[in-house]
Amino acid sequence: MDYSLTKFLWTLLGLFIVTNWGLLMSSTMRRIGARVAGRYGIPWYQPWIDLAKLYSLRSQITHGTMFYIGPVFRLMGGVGMFLFMPMIFGSALWSNYSFSGDLILILYFQFFGMLGMALGAGEGGQPYSAIGISRGLSQFTTIEVPMTLAVISLAIQYQTFSISDIVAAQQGGFMNWTVMTNPFATIAAMLSLLGAFGHSPFNLVKAPNEIPIGPPTEYHGTFLGVLRTNGAILHVAEAALFMNLFFGGATSWFELIIKTFLIYFWSVFVGTVFPRFRIEQSVVWFLKWPTILGIIAIIIYL
Amino acid sequence: MEYIIISIGFALVLLGLYGIMYMRNLMRIIIAFTLFNTGINIVMVSIGYIRNASAPILDAIPAAGTTPNIVDPVPQALVLTAIVIGLGVTALMLTYVVKLHQDKKSLDINNFKDLKW
Amino acid sequence: MVGPIYIIAIALGLAFAMGLFGKALKGITGALLMLGLAAMTFISGQWLWAFLTDSVTTTQIFTAGFKPPYSINLQMGMEEAILTFIINVAGLLGATYMYQTFSKKGEQLKMIFLVFIMSMNVTVMTRDMFNLFVFLEIESIALAGLVLMSNTGKAFQAGMKYLIATGIISGLLLLGIIFAYSFTGTLNIDDMIGAHLGTIKASSVAVFLILVAFILELKPFPANGWGLDVYTAAHPGIGALVSATVASAGVYVLYKVMPIAGQEWYYYVSLIGALTFVGSNLMGTRQNTPNRLLGYSSIGQVGLLMIILGLQDYLGDKTAFIAFGILISHYAAKAGLFWISGILKANDIKDWAALRKNPFLLFLFGTFLFALIGFPPFPSFFAKWELIMTLSTQGQLVWIAVILVGSFIEGIYLFRWLGYALKLDHSELPSLNITWNKMIPIWVMGMSLYVLGVYVTPMVEFGRYINYIPLLFILVMFALDFLPVYIKNTLSIGGVVWYMIDLWPRIEDDLMRQIFAVIFLGGAVITLAAGYSKKGTRKGFYPMALLMFAGLVGIIEASSMIDFFFSWELMTAGSYFLIIRGKRSMPHAYSYILFSIAGAYAILMGFGLAYGSNLDAGLTALGNISFLPTLAYSLLAVGFMTKTASLGLHIWLPGAHGEAESDVSPMVSAILLKAGVFGLMLLFLFIGTDNPNATKLLYVLGWVGALTTLVGNMSAAFQEDAKRLLAYSSIAQLGYVLFGLAIMTHMGWMASFTYTINHFMFKSILFLVIGGIVVKLGTHNMFEMGGMIKKMPFSFIAVLISIIVIGGIPPLSGFAGKWLFYNAIIEKGWYFQGAIIFFAGIIAFLYLYKLIHSVFLGQLKDNHRNMTEISWWILGPVYVLIIGIMIFSAFPQYVLQPIGEMLNPYFNTEIVSWEGTKAFTKLGYWDGTTIMIVVGTAFVLLLGWLISLSRKAQKVKQFNIVYAAERPFRPETTHVSYNIYAGYKKALGFLVAPGITNFWNTVSDMVLDIAGWLRRIYSGSIQNYTLHVIVFIVVFYLITIGGL
Repeated sequence: MDYSLTKFLWTLLGLFIVTNWGLLMSSTMRRIGARVAGRYGIPWYQPWIDLAKLYSLRSQITHGTMFYIGPVFRLMGGVGMFLFMPMIFGSALWSNYSFSGDLILILYFQFFGMLGMALGAGEGGQPYSAIGISRGLSQFTTIEVPMTLAVISLAIQYQTFSISDIVAAQQGGFMNWTVMTNPFATIAAMLSLLGAFGHSPFNLVKAPNEIPIGPPTEYHGTFLGVLRTNGAILHVAEAALFMNLFFGGATSWFELIIKTFLIYFWSVFVGTVFPRFRIEQSVVWFLKWPTILGIIAIIIYL
Repeated sequence: MEYIIISIGFALVLLGLYGIMYMRNLMRIIIAFTLFNTGINIVMVSIGYIRNASAPILDAIPAAGTTPNIVDPVPQALVLTAIVIGLGVTALMLTYVVKLHQDKKSLDINNFKDLKW
Repeated sequence: MVGPIYIIAIALGLAFAMGLFGKALKGITGALLMLGLAAMTFISGQWLWAFLTDSVTTTQIFTAGFKPPYSINLQMGMEEAILTFIINVAGLLGATYMYQTFSKKGEQLKMIFLVFIMSMNVTVMTRDMFNLFVFLEIESIALAGLVLMSNTGKAFQAGMKYLIATGIISGLLLLGIIFAYSFTGTLNIDDMIGAHLGTIKASSVAVFLILVAFILELKPFPANGWGLDVYTAAHPGIGALVSATVASAGVYVLYKVMPIAGQEWYYYVSLIGALTFVGSNLMGTRQNTPNRLLGYSSIGQVGLLMIILGLQDYLGDKTAFIAFGILISHYAAKAGLFWISGILKANDIKDWAALRKNPFLLFLFGTFLFALIGFPPFPSFFAKWELIMTLSTQGQLVWIAVILVGSFIEGIYLFRWLGYALKLDHSELPSLNITWNKMIPIWVMGMSLYVLGVYVTPMVEFGRYINYIPLLFILVMFALDFLPVYIKNTLSIGGVVWYMIDLWPRIEDDLMRQIFAVIFLGGAVITLAAGYSKKGTRKGFYPMALLMFAGLVGIIEASSMIDFFFSWELMTAGSYFLIIRGKRSMPHAYSYILFSIAGAYAILMGFGLAYGSNLDAGLTALGNISFLPTLAYSLLAVGFMTKTASLGLHIWLPGAHGEAESDVSPMVSAILLKAGVFGLMLLFLFIGTDNPNATKLLYVLGWVGALTTLVGNMSAAFQEDAKRLLAYSSIAQLGYVLFGLAIMTHMGWMASFTYTINHFMFKSILFLVIGGIVVKLGTHNMFEMGGMIKKMPFSFIAVLISIIVIGGIPPLSGFAGKWLFYNAIIEKGWYFQGAIIFFAGIIAFLYLYKLIHSVFLGQLKDNHRNMTEISWWILGPVYVLIIGIMIFSAFPQYVLQPIGEMLNPYFNTEIVSWEGTKAFTKLGYWDGTTIMIVVGTAFVLLLGWLISLSRKAQKVKQFNIVYAAERPFRPETTHVSYNIYAGYKKALGFLVAPGITNFWNTVSDMVLDIAGWLRRIYSGSIQNYTLHVIVFIVVFYLITIGGL
């Protein structure tokens, strides 16, 4: 267990890279979305401009302590996920603090940020926040079903929960990747990923033109900046998780960037094609094909 | 002979039961009840009966080793007691009938079904 | 020593004297009556004492200077001494109770009363058949005379029916006697026994008639309408004697004459007994008239005694103990209940709520009911225990089932009654006017039940190890019940702490028991401490709470099955009284106690099978069940699962926990439920891994546990009542525990222990805090709350930490449970159950968020603007628990590592190994301390960063929100809480449709319908009743002799 300053600084560097890559990825995706819709779209550096503006806003209001801490929880969720994730395979320094826990830790650490955010937004007293949160939680329950089944399937397949070990087992060509060796689990998880990223058709949590962006409605200025930062980190971290679990991990930052981009692109691709589900539709959707695929992924190991 | 008597006894028992179950009037039920009792008494007496024996009243102490030719005295004694008890029960029943009649001015058994379930 | 013949002499002499010189003796007849009864009591009492001290042997008393068969002889043995003593005591107490009535109604009644008591004495003692007949007749006549005493039309009708029915029965008896005489030439019972009448075809008619007559005297179902009417219409003082003494004497007479028939006939006695026990109790379920209900119950108890008499071949030398245990409990309880009924003069059991105007009467009422059901420490408990155990060694499972089913049905109406008395409104009812002479007899009966219970305890195997010291302490607390809360609270906590100190050395090297001792007794201290926030005297709370804790700790300490069961029942009784304290708790406490006694009976039967396999009453017998092991394990598991409220057996919990008082909820939720967990752990450890008889059972239990979590969590998400939400959450948490235990691996058990410990801590916190808030805001409905974070920040933090633990979110200790579960499931291969477990785990977020959001966040209501933090008496204990959670989260190894080592010998599966703070399994690893450090550091850094960026953030008012195109109108319309998961309900709500509740409702409706339909045979017409008697005789004939 390495608590040295060197380790800390390298991890900080990694966090910096991930944040910037996340921001770039989001602007790229928005451009793609705009092009599909026949618009020109934002410039690639727009997220940095937004952040700079948000962090420098002078007027700030707060609804109370929990409201104030909520974004910290949220950011902690993203950062924590990054911290506990081995980013680059075979690199002791880029494996961050993954020695604290395995895959299960990451799966449950997701909730840390969600819960804090929900609580912070709740204190704001804004009904749209509460509605958004209730939808988010509802949807999340079933998103996790195929994901859980896939994780169980992986655990049976590799007999380990250690992400590093799972990545190690996939080395030696893409035929060893989980997507080839355990396609059902991969598909189930990738479908569940659509919900986790919250793009259309599963974007009713934020539903911009219905409950104006849902939970973060009340947040602005620095708070929103923190949330945006977290969004960037979280997207890369989640994509990296899927990369590690299903697509052979990454041995270099370049590989990581390519793979996370493609994984993220998958959800954007679906999002630009399908319209939004209602909550009862999306909740049930995850219990249909994704769950069945997840069950098949386990049955083949019985 | 004893079969006729015992048959009469059982017939009275059955008649009595019939009366208890099918009569409406309380007085008749009581009469049926006494018939039932009488029947039982007759059966008892006839069971102790021994053909050609005399009544169990001894004039002299029978000689050692011989058994006097008398009917069994015990059932007769029992019947006596049973009759006395039957009298007591009947009397008490009649008391009840008086009370019941005072209560509802009726002797019809169907009027006395307040307690049920 | 005064001879028993003087019992008769005194009674007859006095009766004649009163009859002849009634006028002259007018002023002193009352005193004479009492003196006479006292003398009779003394005579039988001294014989009893002599028998108990072994200074005499069974004695025959001959009359008229001849020996049988030429004379009538009486017998005075141990059994006769007991029976005559209880008959005379009841006579004395009954006369005391009816003193005023007797003085008002004249001399004849006193005379009849003496004759009545005397006749029962003789029926018990006589060994002459005809004499028996005569005194039975005297008894009937005297009783009919006493019934006349209540000058009502109904009493006349009842007496008339009674006379006709007993007249017919005695006619049959006469026939039987004369037939028997003609075959044997004797009237002496012992000589008749020697003749073996029952074995000869011709003489079996005599046997049949005698037996059926004595059975009919006991009012067997269904030929007993006339008997019920007497119970209903007679003066309750007479009813008490009919139930207590006539039934006792009648049962003894049957016992006495049964050998004439021979053992081939015993089976039929049991059969009729069973029919009577179940049938009579079943019809009692529809009864609302107190005296008639007591009649049904009396007849039911007599049925039970008939079963016991009929099974005496199986019971062997335990018969006397069992029969007397049941008989004495029935005797004292029924007499007491009838006497109470006489004081209340109510026509509906609902009016017994008036009992609360006199707490002593209420206490006695409870005592009698629990004695009837067979709760400890009453004699009936030990008798029933021995009955079940002994039957089990003989393999008589069907009889065990019949007895337990009958007892359960009895519980249905007795506990409904108790509930009414405890909860229904009594403001409209007249206050009680009780004279001391009515109170004393009831007290005597009540107290003798306790004394006898303690007295007989050492007579059962391992009984002497039962610890009565906690009960003594509780008795003291009863006596101090008038003191204010803070004194009693301090005393109670002191008692618990003292017991903990006393207990600890005894469980020093048993970690499992230590953990549960901390949960039970530590939990007791914490929840009791919260009680300081209450004012007034809280009558009845402390004895009952301590009773529950005494039961709980007794379960830990038990080394024998009887000790365990004894404590289990104490705990059930205590928790029942705690639960029913809530304002609207009556129906919920009712369903709780019904599930509990059903569960207890399942446990009892399971213990019976264990005992039957080993002839060993030690708890270790559970480890070696060779006799129907799967059934035994299933019964025990189901029994324990009624306490853990697993799916199917959970419907009592939400109401019981939700409606309980604010500090009772944590007691019954966080602490009490663990009794079931402890039971299951004990059972599963005895079952052991790889037990071929339990594999399927464990598999089923695994599914039950998994589905319980799903249903529990989802139901919780749809609750609007904060406490019910927590209650459903408890169901789910206990489902996790059950699931983990059923896995039967090292890892699964580690997970279960983690969940058990966590649930104890966070559920105590949540129920204490939410309970405090509910009391403060005066509503259970979460949508009526909101914004409390501003008013109650410390409560908020406590709830926040708890829900992080429930959610299993790192870095707090809940995550340990989740991590262990993942490992356990993969190892065991229960993937789909596991998937349900984790699905349920996510659903938990729905209710967790609903809880914290609806109560603490959102919009503060106008009427709550002046609220302040809840009492520090509540928050103090809560923060102690939070420290506990924090320590457990940061240093899980200190707790989990020893647990792992403890579990090692039991399981040969994968273990969790530790390297300092890091836990390893074959599959993964987890380091609680490091996670805490990493998360803590990062969180502080990020918070510092945010503060540095937005330190100038300005606080705004509640309604200052960005509300598109509308403006907030009122907090009520802006607070999002009610039916917040509507969409989710639409999609998946069908999973928690109240199917199980409906199922149980249908079952109970069906039982009541059957009872309602059956009891129509009691049409009120004596002619029908006569028909019943005759049909009964004919059917009995066809079955016994006719070879049907």
